[in-house]
Amino acid sequence: MIPVVAAVSIFGVSYGVLATAAGMPAWLTVVMSATVFAGSSQFAAVSILASGGSPAAAVLSGALLNSRYLATGTAVARVLPGGRVKRFLLAQLVVDESYVLAVNAGTPEAPDAKTLITSGAALWTGWLAGSAIGALLGPVLGDPDKLGLDAAFPALFVALLWPMLDRRPAIRAALAGLAAAAVLLPFTSPGVALAGAAVAGLAVMRK
Amino acid sequence: MTAAVAALAVITIAIKGAGSLLERIPDEVARRLAGLAPALLAALVYVELADNDNGLPHADAKAAGVGAAVVLAAVKAPFAICVIGGAVVAAGLRAAGVS
Repeated sequence: MIPVVAAVSIFGVSYGVLATAAGMPAWLTVVMSATVFAGSSQFAAVSILASGGSPAAAVLSGALLNSRYLATGTAVARVLPGGRVKRFLLAQLVVDESYVLAVNAGTPEAPDAKTLITSGAALWTGWLAGSAIGALLGPVLGDPDKLGLDAAFPALFVALLWPMLDRRPAIRAALAGLAAAAVLLPFTSPGVALAGAAVAGLAVMRK
Repeated sequence: MTAAVAALAVITIAIKGAGSLLERIPDEVARRLAGLAPALLAALVYVELADNDNGLPHADAKAAGVGAAVVLAAVKAPFAICVIGGAVVAAGLRAAGVS
């Protein structure tokens, strides 16, 4: 868990740097990390705003990127403790990384709730702290690309994905998601391509 | 910009929370949900590597960094080494003049 939290904290720094470089006030950069807490959608929304896209397009892309969390939330719903309010709040700790850690600690059908909550809270703290540091460092640090921070993000996804590919259905789902993204992305936004990949991943999971 | 962030925050909190409020789901659904993480992670890698303009991947320093991460993951290198290795390769190539 610690390497994942460290990696996400570093991405928080790169997010803070990129968001402030794109003209977002430092306070809003940090508030966004605290409330949205979904790195890929934050990067997507910031990049759309930075390239002159409409706020509506930024919100839509971010929301579609996060639509997968409806299914992910359902996947963890039956292992989360407590009543509706408590589960609603605990579900905010679901991000790709905490979900994957919980699945690895349990099973895809029954992710480990303790891992989800512990890692989710640690990831939220790291993401928030990293974002704040990045927002302050932004003007000082210079070009994040020069440091390879942009490559660290997909490298993280590779490192998370690889250990899952030990079962045939998971390999099939990964290939389906990859294919859906490759087909959709030239014609749609990243948010739509990722939603398509989510649907493809669901569709290929047969008995 | 503030309104966009607020809207995205409210929507995201609602999405995450709504998923958690659904009661027990059938095994069939649970099995299908197991496909979400690998599908999305693979797609996220693709989206990260694709060009913003035409949606097609291209060979550059970032792609080389991801290639390094794949090799490191395949030889079972520790998680942090995969991530840092990817960033270092991309940064090194850029320092050497590769875009």
